[in-house]
Order: sequence, then C-alpha cells, then structure tokens
Amino acid sequence: MLDPYLKEALVARLTAWADDEVVLAQRLSEWVGHAPILEEDIAIANLAQDELGHAKVWLELRQELDGSDPDHLVFFRDPLEYQNAVLVELPKGDWAFTMVRQYLFDAYENLWLKEATKSAYLPLAEAAGRILKEEKFHLSHSSLWLERLGQGTEESHRRAQEALDTLFPYVRQLFQLLPTDEALVEVGVLPDLRALEAPYLEEVGARLERVGLRPPQGGYVPKSRQEHTEYLWSLLAEMQSVARWDPEAKAW
Amino acid sequence: MWGTEWPRFEVIKQDTQHSPPQMVGSVHAADPEHALLVARHVFVRRPAAYALFVAPAEAFFHVSQEGLKDLAPRREGGPEEAYWVFAKRSHRRSMVYGDLVGRFLAQGPEDAIAQALLQAQGVAFWAVPERLVVGTEPTEEVVESWFAPAKDKRYRLQSYYGLITAKGVEDA
Repeated sequence: MLDPYLKEALVARLTAWADDEVVLAQRLSEWVGHAPILEEDIAIANLAQDELGHAKVWLELRQELDGSDPDHLVFFRDPLEYQNAVLVELPKGDWAFTMVRQYLFDAYENLWLKEATKSAYLPLAEAAGRILKEEKFHLSHSSLWLERLGQGTEESHRRAQEALDTLFPYVRQLFQLLPTDEALVEVGVLPDLRALEAPYLEEVGARLERVGLRPPQGGYVPKSRQEHTEYLWSLLAEMQSVARWDPEAKAW
Repeated sequence: MWGTEWPRFEVIKQDTQHSPPQMVGSVHAADPEHALLVARHVFVRRPAAYALFVAPAEAFFHVSQEGLKDLAPRREGGPEEAYWVFAKRSHRRSMVYGDLVGRFLAQGPEDAIAQALLQAQGVAFWAVPERLVVGTEPTEEVVESWFAPAKDKRYRLQSYYGLITAKGVEDA
C-alpha cells in the first residue's frame, strides 16, 4: 500500500501520461477520412484507438488509487486542468508533421515504458509491459514513415525537416519531472525520466541522421505541464462537446 | 499502376504457427515493408495471427477451374524456381479466398499450378514466385508486438453499440 503522499504523486503522474495519450489520440483521429490513402486512414484510426486505450489503462490505475471516474476526468476537466505536454496538442499539420511527431513520441514511450516495466508498483509495471508491446509496433510504423519522408522526395524531406524544426524542442518537455515525481523515483515506482533524455537524444539523433534529417539546436522548451498553447482549447471544446451538451446522458 | 497510385500488394495471413497461409485481400502501399505494416492495420487488428506475407499483386498468375484445360505448363528444361500456389476451394462465401497448397519448384507459374493440381482441388488457383514474397519475421518480438495485442481486444459487431440517448432512457 502506498503512503498518502506517494499516492497523490502517482495520481498526478498517471494523469499526465493519460492526458498525453488522450490529446494525441484526438489529434490522430482528426485524420480519419482525410489520410492520404485509405490504408493509412485505417492505420491512423487504429493508432488513435490504441492511444486512447492506453489513456484508459492509466486512468483506471488512477481510479484504483483515488476512485476518480475516467470518463469524467476526460470530458469535464477544463484546459487549464489538463496535464498533457505541449508536443501532443499542436495542430495535426500535414502528414509529415503528424508522422514526425508520432515517431518522436513513440520513441519516447518505448524508452520509458521499458524502464517502467521494472517499477516497484506492480500494477504500473504490468500495464507498462502490456502497452509496450503495442508501442513497439507503433514505433515500427512511425519509423517507416520517418525514413520514407526523410529520404523520399525533395518535398517530403523539406516537410519532414520543417516538422522536426517545430517539434523537437517540445520533445524535451517529456523528460521533465513533475514537482511530486522525485518521491516516486526515490522509491522505484517511477523511472527517472531525466536520466532517459540523453539515451533518447542519442538514439533518435542517430536515426534522424540516417534518414537525412537534422534536429534543430535550442528552441523553447515549456517549463511545466500547466503550460498550454491556444490549440488545446479548441481541441478539448470539440472533444468534450457531446458529453458537456448532455452531462446526464447515461446510456448508449 | 495508374498515375501516382501506389502498387497493390496481395496480403497473405497465417493464423497460427501450424495453419496454412491464406490470401485475405490486398493493400496499396509504397513498398513491401510498408505493405506489411498497413496489412497489419487493415487485416489483423482483431483476429489472431501468427504471420503476414505480401507480394505484388501483378506478380500473381491466376487461373480459374474453367481455364485449367488451356493451362500449358512450360517444361523445357529451363531454370526452376520456387512458387507458392494457392487454391480457392469452393464458391462458398468466405473472408478468405486462397489457401496455400504448397511450395513447388517449377519452370513457370503454370507448371507450379499443374503440380499443385496433383494435391488439391479448387475452383481457382494462384501462383507467385517465392522470391517476391516478403513476410514478417517469425521472431517472438514481432509476434508479440504485431499480433499479440489483438488477442486482448474484444471484437464487437457494430450493432453492439447503440445510439446515445437522453437521460431517463430506462423509463422511456
């Protein structure tokens, strides 16, 4: 049993992960009906559903800790209460932007989930193991696109590089600790995300270089998960509109 | 291939380690590796699978039962190569249209099908050179990440999900 402070810290951490997944899933789902080819349309709908499934896993773990209702958290929290990283809320852009973001996020997930399978909190270790399997496949998909965009045509390369220039600084936010994370790291519940940044930059940097893309230097890195862009507002307004329109609806 | 359209690949799915690979449909993709990935998304999100294979659709030779009488296998002592031969067993409606009969060393697809006919009946046959078939690696890692997650996902018919209704639906 976790002591109350650790419990609260874990609730915050699970919420941050879930919010990343929910917001990214919503961005991916915006491609449904608009992807460049039918097969990729189906694929991106699958990715969106998977990410949403992962959010559900994290929010159900949270529910075990504090009894909160996952649906209520997703549909009735205001943008300022969302704890997602800025990376996932940026508009979907073109196909290159979406695929480069997916690659950067998948690579991060593969790295930390692998570490989280060793968590001292067994429900987290078990969930991480389950999600990691699916994320490995996601990474195969986004890596394949990264390679084809980077080395395809002059235009695909230009678009992929532009996407990377915008996205890369935001990736670094993913490795920041929440104020309460330190305690979780100390007791082995949470992998130290800060320690994963260097291996991430090395691994991702090497792959980007192989496909002819160059990570930009510098750039603005958001300071906390309370920071959001204006884009989160419209995303949540759309995503939450049905639930908020009739909050008492109770049957499907 | 028309205009800028990507080529079409036939998708072959193997459900378990011991079941025969079956032709299940096709995908458009940029190259074989990409075809395998989208085939996983399109054909294997729910049902179980052990392996996937793809081959360019245009590389398939096909013949129906009616055409078999005109099949003229070349056997001139030329070089042989391996072909995969598939047979559609009946006209019964099915999600699958060709089962793998086997792998045959032949001088051409007609020859491969003629050999397969000694083993299997069918209403249509396909043959494709093995060198053009690309499959998923039969490693634990691939099976775990490509196919295992589907096992935990419940498949539900569309009709399972009703329409959202207003409050008080139980009393309606």
